[in-house]
Amino acid sequence: MSSKRNGQMTQIPQPCPHLAGFRSRHGLRFFRAIQKCLRVKPLGRASIRRDSGEFPRCGTCATGECTGTHLYACVACASVFCHLSSESSHAAAHAESMPPGHEIAVDVDRAELFCCACRDQVYDRDFDASVVLAQTAASTLGGSKIREAPPENLRKRRRVDYRPWTPDPRELVLIRRGSSSLQRGNGDSSDCLPWGLRGLNNLGNTCFLNSILQALLHTPPLRNYFLSDRHNRYECQQKKNFSNASKKISTSNDNGKNSRLCLACDMDAMFSAAFSGDRSPYSPARFLYSWWQHAANLASYEQQDAHEFFISMLDGIHEKVEKDQGKPQSQGNGDCCIAHRVFSGILRSDVTCTACGFTSTTYDPCVDISLDLEPNQGGSKMASTKSHYSCNVELDSTISSQSFGISTLVGCLDRFTRPEKLGSDQKFFCQQCQMRQESLKQMSIRKLPLVSCFHIKRFEHSSIRNMSRKVDRYLQFPFSLNMAPYLSSSILRSRFGNRMFTFDGDEQYASNELSSEFELFAVITHTGKLDAGHYVTYLRLSNQWYKCDDAWITQVSEDLVRAAQGYMMFYVQKMLYYKASEKLAAS
Amino acid sequence: MSVPNDDNTSHSQLSSQFFGDLLDSIIVDVASECHRIARLGLDCNLEEGEEEIRLSAQARVRVADPSNSSEVNSKYVVDIFGQTHPAVANEIFECMNCRRSIVAGRFAPHLEKCMGKGRKARLKATRSSSAAQNRYSRGSPISTYSPYSHSTSVNQLSNGAPGVSGEEYAEGAFEDP
Repeated sequence: MSSKRNGQMTQIPQPCPHLAGFRSRHGLRFFRAIQKCLRVKPLGRASIRRDSGEFPRCGTCATGECTGTHLYACVACASVFCHLSSESSHAAAHAESMPPGHEIAVDVDRAELFCCACRDQVYDRDFDASVVLAQTAASTLGGSKIREAPPENLRKRRRVDYRPWTPDPRELVLIRRGSSSLQRGNGDSSDCLPWGLRGLNNLGNTCFLNSILQALLHTPPLRNYFLSDRHNRYECQQKKNFSNASKKISTSNDNGKNSRLCLACDMDAMFSAAFSGDRSPYSPARFLYSWWQHAANLASYEQQDAHEFFISMLDGIHEKVEKDQGKPQSQGNGDCCIAHRVFSGILRSDVTCTACGFTSTTYDPCVDISLDLEPNQGGSKMASTKSHYSCNVELDSTISSQSFGISTLVGCLDRFTRPEKLGSDQKFFCQQCQMRQESLKQMSIRKLPLVSCFHIKRFEHSSIRNMSRKVDRYLQFPFSLNMAPYLSSSILRSRFGNRMFTFDGDEQYASNELSSEFELFAVITHTGKLDAGHYVTYLRLSNQWYKCDDAWITQVSEDLVRAAQGYMMFYVQKMLYYKASEKLAAS
Repeated sequence: MSVPNDDNTSHSQLSSQFFGDLLDSIIVDVASECHRIARLGLDCNLEEGEEEIRLSAQARVRVADPSNSSEVNSKYVVDIFGQTHPAVANEIFECMNCRRSIVAGRFAPHLEKCMGKGRKARLKATRSSSAAQNRYSRGSPISTYSPYSHSTSVNQLSNGAPGVSGEEYAEGAFEDP
């Protein structure tokens, strides 16, 4: 049997007959006895000792000359034996020499169950639960709850079943009367091309802006929002004019412009233009104008950072909504504005005291994840070795030798979520120890956004040396990405030794409901030097890749995208990556 | 325990033994953890990940091969809709700040001065306030010159680094009266 947890299958392995037999005979007595003997070190390592001063030795090896260091304690009679290998195992010998019932042993230094008859490590859910409880009790001596309260703004997202809708006759009439059909364009070739694909004119060093806009135009939840008229620019402007009039705001030129400033309205106009069927390049002039009014410090004619623009723009959409509603909105649950509903996730940061194991947890919203590109990291658990690009060897071995030493997005995420030892100059005040201690910090994702944007830190600015440089190193990124290993529940579970246990976050947040599987739909690349470069967006539509280079839209191969130098990658939750979009639009 | 003249030998033997025991212990740690991960099915993404890496490596080899039709500079080619476009966008529209007709490809530099943003515009503005009034009476078209879509000037850091591209701004819009 297995349970799907956050998209990651956690199988509960079938017990071997010996373990099953033991359980049926001894049941809970066994666990209670074991629980008393569980000793937990500050960072979670559990061991079995009858009393804390016990120094276990193999009962078979001659006294004082125990060569075996891998020791198992028989759970039936508590005698300890060593285990060197399948052939040389005093633990197995004990099981064979005793009447049936002594097959199950526990590794005294790791608290793992072992079946001496099967010669294999075995797993038991209740045993794991005892270990986890002992571990959490050890790290929260202050008596605080094992389950921390999740952030209050993290409500369970109610899932609504899909219900198909077809218009009734009256609605049909209404629809026909109120709509005009979109022009298909000239010739048959246009008919096969995806909707919404349209070049963007470069208004003068605005490729940074165009690249982000192209990605947003094809961000499924954002596209759906605007195309379903959820932000109607005409209504929005009318509302503003009305509220301005009632507030008796002076109608001098500048004030009038500012009060009508709404980035969401300009986005709405852009979506209408992009999906109108007109394929001639669109000039996002109005958008630029509005954005410069919002981000005065970034308003200048020079090449800018696409990521900086992205953040600024999302902030602009949020701010406008805040102003309209008149109160600050929490970003975490994404209810404040469409920008956050689409991009906002929650990051969890745990700081653990290395002395006592006490962990302090904080939650922060985020609209993207910025990752460092570090040299020569291989895939998650692979060792990195120098690789040589050789052309004269057959393809397969060339590939395998190149697998090592390549930076990967998954590797960056592993690094992002690995426990990091804070420097001795950054000692953290431990509430339990009541003093500053060296600590470990670990990031994880508490809540995944609908769209995950990964930003690769390719531009390094050193204020000390007053210079900047660009990191050109290739980064491998997958087309399908499973984010389950980076979720807080997974990270927490691995911190407790991957025990089978329902951790906080699994039930409360019910993240089972939301898939952690993502599909890539847009890649923004930067070519050239730091100060003289060019941004281009690759879009994946109907499983075909298109290159959006300002006004020029061309079709490219998947290989080209895989080999490109990714700067920002956009992934959408798989369940939102409609299968229907892979089919061509019906005529 | 041991005879004095055998001290070094037994010490080195002991140290080797300790090292061996420690190493064994670490190896068993890793083996035990991996065994658990595999049994509990927590490594199901490993194969997928390796497949993606393999595909990317293949792709890079194919793209690097000069005999493959590599991507040409997509500018100055025909796009998928069958259109060609000039290097500098030549659509003309009205500036929403000053109502003048502006060429799309020159819109950003125009807007920068028009809105009074950017270093050059701020300098010019302090020099002469009447320039703003004269602005609207000009109707001359923007002069064209060799385009560039990359910023090759030094003026890229927004911390106010001095710009070299001053000459490009002489579009006929902001000459001192």
